[in-house]
Amino acid sequence: MSRLVAVAANTFRETVRERVLYNLVFFAVLMTLSGLLLGQLSIRQDEKILKDIGLAAMDLFGTMIAVFIGTGLVSKEIERRSLYPLLAKPLTRGEFFLGKFAGLAFTLLVNIAVMTAGLVLTLLATGRGLSPELVTAVYPILLGLLLVVAFAMLFSTQTSAALAAVFTVGVVVAGRFADVVRNMREVAPGVPPWLAETVYTILPNFRNFDFKDRVAYGEAVPAGVLAWVTVYGVVWIAIVLVLGLLSFRSRDFQ
Amino acid sequence: MRRGLALLLVLLAPAVPWSQAQIDRRAGAFRAQEEILYLWSGAHVKRLFPGFEGLAADVYWLRTVQYFGGQRLFAANKRFELLRPLVEITTTLDPRLEMAYRYGAIFLSEPSPLGAGRPREGIEVLEAGARNNPGSWRLRQDLGFFHYIYLREAERAAAILNEAADLPGAAFWLRMLAADLLAKGGARANSRRMWQQMFDQAEAGILKENARLRLQILDSRDLAERLEGLVAELERRTGRRPARLEELREAGLWGGPFVDAGGAPFGYDAREGRVFIERTSPMWRPD
Repeated sequence: MSRLVAVAANTFRETVRERVLYNLVFFAVLMTLSGLLLGQLSIRQDEKILKDIGLAAMDLFGTMIAVFIGTGLVSKEIERRSLYPLLAKPLTRGEFFLGKFAGLAFTLLVNIAVMTAGLVLTLLATGRGLSPELVTAVYPILLGLLLVVAFAMLFSTQTSAALAAVFTVGVVVAGRFADVVRNMREVAPGVPPWLAETVYTILPNFRNFDFKDRVAYGEAVPAGVLAWVTVYGVVWIAIVLVLGLLSFRSRDFQ
Repeated sequence: MRRGLALLLVLLAPAVPWSQAQIDRRAGAFRAQEEILYLWSGAHVKRLFPGFEGLAADVYWLRTVQYFGGQRLFAANKRFELLRPLVEITTTLDPRLEMAYRYGAIFLSEPSPLGAGRPREGIEVLEAGARNNPGSWRLRQDLGFFHYIYLREAERAAAILNEAADLPGAAFWLRMLAADLLAKGGARANSRRMWQQMFDQAEAGILKENARLRLQILDSRDLAERLEGLVAELERRTGRRPARLEELREAGLWGGPFVDAGGAPFGYDAREGRVFIERTSPMWRPD
């Protein structure tokens, strides 16, 4: 366990060294400018737009970090051959793989937490309320990002970082179109229902983690819904991590 | 080498604002830009932003406000051709953005030069809003108002106001207003009550200013009618129609100025005894 934590801590330090958290500076500038300008431009919609921008930035920046850092976590270690001395030490592949996941998960957690604080401060500075319901949108975003990291790591165990990024983005985009897949028969009546249903079931539905629109109007997501989203997210993350682990273990590094 | 590059940077940096100022001076600070909408279908735009529809709606909303403001201030023909598609894309991306329906409807309906002068389209926008937000009594209230104010359909307006009154949280006076519309359809007092409501409900900004202007126009029309009544009164007393409005003051019938709510002098037709708002006044609107 301590070895896993050590890998995670090292991964976090690595992401900080790679200046991943610099996106927070951009976020701060974005929030400040939005706060200053939107009151004038939006005709009393500034609070809703501020929340939209803040939550969308968390989702978008988080996805970019999850894809581009996540795909490099394993593949870069393989390409740079820095993995070999690590695996020669008393460190199992499972500890390495899960440690890497935990490290990037922590980076994303810090990122999202700081962004949430920034959004709340901007809302307070522009004379808006505390909006505690924001947490009910931020939490599912974080869950969705962890699933993206898991996919990025799964793909990176078998291919280069660039190809893994392409595959991961493909899965994320397809998952965001899950509702289109489900209603495929409406636009393409020839598609057999079982096919649409199967594709819908095996695709990770990233729509499940998206409550931004609802929360922007000040509505909290009910606890029951969040609980099921948590179950869905944790199960998917676990499945993808297990697949990634199996794939990583099957790699021959001779 | 490094010092030389730094010096070059210091020398070049002021050239950017200087050249921009030169361009602005020659081309005008507010150069009219051709407004183009590449995507006309809200459904297509929606498919481009999976998971970010709310943010895309905000972008289109800001563009709607900018487009309308820009056209109103700088465009020569003021046809507002993109106003409706912009509002439709915004509300397809975020069907709950009530402000977009209300704003779009008002300025599609208002006559030129204030708006596009297409009240049917304004009403269609509000109908879509009421469909997408079945619990919103305000959108239904506006729909009723618009049927009355722009189309003079008192019965239809009253029916919609009664529907609005049935919704939870609806204002208590909606049913009374609906009854008044049926009792004296076409009365200016009803229009005044509707614009007053829109004025009271709007937050500071363009919608409130528009409602204020509408109330001032109604005030001016009331005042013109009142002066016309005094002209008739003076004619009855003296046996002749006054040649100038000032004669009302001289006869002690009127103590105030003969100007409308915009400060422009009223017109007076001495042959007919008619007092009217001059076409050059900001208060003038076609009947």
